[in-house]
Amino acid sequence: MIEMSQLSFRYPGGRAALKDVNLKIEAGEVVGLVGPSGAGKSTLLLHLNGLLPLNLAADADSGVSIGGIPIRKDQLTAIRREVGLLFQDPDDQLFCPIVQDDVAFGPLNLNLPPGEVRQRVTDALAAVDLANYGLRQTAQLSVGERKRVCLAGVLACRPSVLALDEPFSNLDPRARRKLIAILQNFAGTQVIATHDLDLVLELCQRVIVLDDGRVRADGPTRAILSDRELMEQHGLEVPYRRASGRDG
Amino acid sequence: MISYLDRYARGATVCHRWPASLKLLLAFAVTLTSVLLPHQAWPAQGVLACFVFAGHSLAGIPFDYLLRRLLAFAPLVMMMSLALPLSQGFAAGWEVMLSILCRSGVAFLAGLWLINVMPFDQLLFTLHRFGMPKLLVAMLAFMYRYVFVLWDEYDRMQTARSARDFGGGSAALRWRIRSQLIGMLLIRAMSRAERVHGAMCARGWDGTVRVFEIPPESVTRNGNHRTI
Repeated sequence: MIEMSQLSFRYPGGRAALKDVNLKIEAGEVVGLVGPSGAGKSTLLLHLNGLLPLNLAADADSGVSIGGIPIRKDQLTAIRREVGLLFQDPDDQLFCPIVQDDVAFGPLNLNLPPGEVRQRVTDALAAVDLANYGLRQTAQLSVGERKRVCLAGVLACRPSVLALDEPFSNLDPRARRKLIAILQNFAGTQVIATHDLDLVLELCQRVIVLDDGRVRADGPTRAILSDRELMEQHGLEVPYRRASGRDG
Repeated sequence: MISYLDRYARGATVCHRWPASLKLLLAFAVTLTSVLLPHQAWPAQGVLACFVFAGHSLAGIPFDYLLRRLLAFAPLVMMMSLALPLSQGFAAGWEVMLSILCRSGVAFLAGLWLINVMPFDQLLFTLHRFGMPKLLVAMLAFMYRYVFVLWDEYDRMQTARSARDFGGGSAALRWRIRSQLIGMLLIRAMSRAERVHGAMCARGWDGTVRVFEIPPESVTRNGNHRTI
């Protein structure tokens, strides 16, 4: 379970990105995090993995806990074992020249034996439908393939929580469908920050609307996304499928 | 950009079929010999240069490819080697300057041959096997990965500039804009470095370099792998 209690965050020399965020996300829930650009969605995801706040003191509590483990400096390894973070730009995440090296990065840092690392690399690449891509150069992949390799790198660590930052941006429809299918097969908790509301409607049972660093609404996807007044108030739109009654 | 550095690395010539360690030793031996030869040993330098050119021919690397890269490399070495005669009022130091030019040319061509007769990942793996520290191997891997990303970023910025410069402006203005682009690229590279570091930490990076020990000799001709 993810718990955030009165989480506030201000970037050094900048504006407040998160203000008194209180959240509880149960294990296995798939939650959409929506809001206008600059609402604090990415900042919130970075807190889930302990990448923020910066320079966290060893005994200081950030106000976030994952599965009962508080995010503190001395707990970062345990936290990062639990939470897999997918970055918006795949070029930020794919830092190895060869696909298999990148996918193996996480398992190697978990100090797993070589046989286990090899098995996880094979399984993760198969899970994202890129089983034959192990020795491809990352720079030669399409955006969709890069995103899937990034996801393989995250899945290879076998996290219980996936935190995904705009996973569907810049994807063509086919790549988008493939990524949706992969996420639908993931059994753990997912927090998906996205502007793609049709996709939120398809994947998430619950939606959190974030605006100006505060939680403005939190509830069942259909109820939130069909509230036209709420959506427009926070720079969003009722998704096409909901507006046209095509979401069943 | 992807093929700029090592366009011929996945060829099928006799050089590509040699063991990776032999290729590395050959390139290293040529460079070391060139560096250690005395200034006056011009014929020996010539022999080494012929040897390197023969290697390029055997590897099927076209002459115009070599020439273009030599032209890109030459001004840099020229400026550095010119410092010697310059420091002596152009009265002496010309022989040493020519010697520096010759040695660096041979070393550069040997290095170019090396990266064009085996994929870069195989080269890194071989260097690691020969005892190169993991940290250095990781730094080279990062460099190889991000040189393409940064080049693409520069390309996009250039395109955006071209879309709005309407072909006008003086040469001075164009140079100013180009230097601003490079400055912007540096700032973007720094912020990307921060994000990459975040992505590494997110997957358990603790400052220790760990290498995935699977020899890249299992690469097939089309770049796919047979087994992991």
